[in-house]
Amino acid sequence: MRFGKKAVLASIATAAALALSACGGGTSGGSSSGGAVNGAGKTLNVFVGKNTTYPQQQQQWFTDTAAAFKKATGADLKFETFASGNDELTKIQTSAVSGQGPDIYSLGTTFTPTAVATGAFAQLGDDDWKALGGKDKFNQAALGISGPDQNKLYAVPFASRPFVMAYNKELLQAAGIDKPATTWTGLVEQAKKATDASKGQYGMAIAYKDNYDPWKYIWAMSEQSGNKLVDGKTANVNNDAVTKAYQTYFGWLTKDKVVDPASVGWTNSQALANFASGKAAFFLMTSTGSLNTLNGSAIKDKYDYALMPTQLGDSAPSGARPVASILSGDNMGIASYSKNKDLALAFLKMVTDKDQQLSYQKTFGDLPTNSDALSSLSSTPHMAAVTDAAAKSFATPFTGAWADIQLALVNVTVQSIPDLASGNVSDSALSQRLQAAQNSAQQSLNRAK
Amino acid sequence: MSTAPHPAPESRLAARAAGRGPRPAPPPSAGGAETGPADKRRGLSERNRPLWMLIPGGILMLVVIVVPLALGVYISFLDLDQYTIRQWLSAPFIAFANYVEALTQSGILRSVWLSVSYSAIAMAITLPLGVAAAVATQNKFRGRALVRSIFLIPYVLPGFVVATVWRTMFQPSGVITNLLHQLGINPGLYLNGPNTYWVLVFVQIWASWPFIYLLALSGLQGVDHEVHEASALDGALWWTKLRYVIFPYLKGPISLAILIGMLHHINNFTLPFVLFGSPAPDDVAVLPYLTYETGFVSFRFGLSAGMAVVSLVLILIPLFIYLRAVKLDDAETSGGRK
Repeated sequence: MRFGKKAVLASIATAAALALSACGGGTSGGSSSGGAVNGAGKTLNVFVGKNTTYPQQQQQWFTDTAAAFKKATGADLKFETFASGNDELTKIQTSAVSGQGPDIYSLGTTFTPTAVATGAFAQLGDDDWKALGGKDKFNQAALGISGPDQNKLYAVPFASRPFVMAYNKELLQAAGIDKPATTWTGLVEQAKKATDASKGQYGMAIAYKDNYDPWKYIWAMSEQSGNKLVDGKTANVNNDAVTKAYQTYFGWLTKDKVVDPASVGWTNSQALANFASGKAAFFLMTSTGSLNTLNGSAIKDKYDYALMPTQLGDSAPSGARPVASILSGDNMGIASYSKNKDLALAFLKMVTDKDQQLSYQKTFGDLPTNSDALSSLSSTPHMAAVTDAAAKSFATPFTGAWADIQLALVNVTVQSIPDLASGNVSDSALSQRLQAAQNSAQQSLNRAK
Repeated sequence: MSTAPHPAPESRLAARAAGRGPRPAPPPSAGGAETGPADKRRGLSERNRPLWMLIPGGILMLVVIVVPLALGVYISFLDLDQYTIRQWLSAPFIAFANYVEALTQSGILRSVWLSVSYSAIAMAITLPLGVAAAVATQNKFRGRALVRSIFLIPYVLPGFVVATVWRTMFQPSGVITNLLHQLGINPGLYLNGPNTYWVLVFVQIWASWPFIYLLALSGLQGVDHEVHEASALDGALWWTKLRYVIFPYLKGPISLAILIGMLHHINNFTLPFVLFGSPAPDDVAVLPYLTYETGFVSFRFGLSAGMAVVSLVLILIPLFIYLRAVKLDDAETSGGRK
């Protein structure tokens, strides 16, 4: 092959054009030094999840926060959004490799261990916490998933979305129940009283086909029976406690018959719709995200939230933890390559202060992680149980293997749904599925670093 | 993939003719001096072709296809997961361990079987459907344009929309379940359990038969008017005409349709993912599903890349057979001769 001069020129031109377009990604920051919060001329980049429920409000929040930040520090604040955890992981990777990218990442609580496992986030020392306004300003439970232990924290709790259950006061009253039960056995009894299948009315609305719900029940019941799903490097997924948890969870439909048979096809939002139409007494595993739907529904004056049961039966076995909810919400982590750590800390301090947290709550419904803000909310309508749940939330295991374990737990339910629909999940089938879950959980833990 | 160019029947025939043409076998030392009849058709002599004009395209190919592909293959040899991704170039090199794990522990063989079988079943059913629809709309009738456009609706709808609509209808309390229930049929769940496989096949057929229809139609348009006339003069009845006169014309476009259609099915991730959610019910854990879950839920990027390479090899097999069959690669080898 012979190429003329023109060819060489053409190839150079093309390569240059490509190189230019490839480098089109914005550069940020600039050299950082000088005063703690004098950020004039600098830009802080923050990477947060897209809020699909409140897109316009989120844009407004971006603008307002940027203005406030500019006023406080003189620095510009830029937000960028991502659609999924996977998008974010890709961004973390490319940014960490190139050493430039967002300074702050918003991390879902259960995604935090995975993100921290990449090593792309800076550990927060005592001075950092001081700059943030002190560890004490946070709801202490919310710090539970900021790092593997109290002395190794990587992420700042920003928003909290604890899980509670909603109940229909009218249906409970009609069934002669004065207040929701605090144990699972008690709840099933109440659900039985409130069930009238001939009217299409059931005690509980459960989202069996949801991609996330099932593991949260199993984790909670497992903790409440004193079984840690992850103990160090050991997975405890196939044992009596977990088997019992699945049997209880499936039993609501197959044995107790307090759940609409159609719920084998429901996601969380479909179960919510069912509850909102007044056909269920209890709707489990919901958060303040359901406020809008419920306030616009036929039962808007008839519902309230309560803690989900924190105990299996009348007495708690040894080692049991009274978990009300997984620790759910958003953390924010500072990238270890960030040259704007001071600014990042100033930003995080600002958005975790009481007033900012309360205004965020008003717009988006997510609960504050600031403990003053949280306690000031408990008297507002529907908020008592939710703020209580925020304080009684427990962290899921802090391991990079958690995503896999979560998947394995949901998979047990997914594969059991046909049996569930036919009315019986046999013990042998369940134990086989649990063994598969145990294997994949253990394998994933073996790889954890 | 959906808009992959396909050779019009005319040019296909031409290509075949070129393959069979009276071209003398090229002598091993044949240089640009060769002046066979086949070479005359090429116009420019091979020696002075402005090859440099291929550079922009070549670089794009390199950047868009070759580099990512090479990276993908390289990643499949790495132990790359959430622990090593930050410095992924220094992730441990584990050679074929990912492939061994994929083959022995991940259930990939089952996924391959599910992918191939569902793809083949869907193709076996869409093929007669598409050809029949093309033949039916070949002759002019009132409202033909409307019918033809309606036929194309499933094809132009995005896979995401198709899957969402069907998922809603297949719900336990959805339209289809209720309808069958009223007819006294109760086959159980559609979005979980063994029925999922057939739901996937069904929705795939619904979504992809217009593709076959489209290519068959283009084949029919390529049939010369004289051919119709001649067969009519010979008194051929409709079936004889269809079987011995028309179908041979369709062989080219249809084999292309089968190939591309199969590749579509095997590579289809959107349909099963939106229909059934994640994690997948065991009966529809097709290859793209498994690759996705391994890579993006479990964050085993290396293992997932290995699976992607396996699926690449898988779809290369029909592609290779096709290229051999239509001798498209023949033209290329002789063109690249210097």
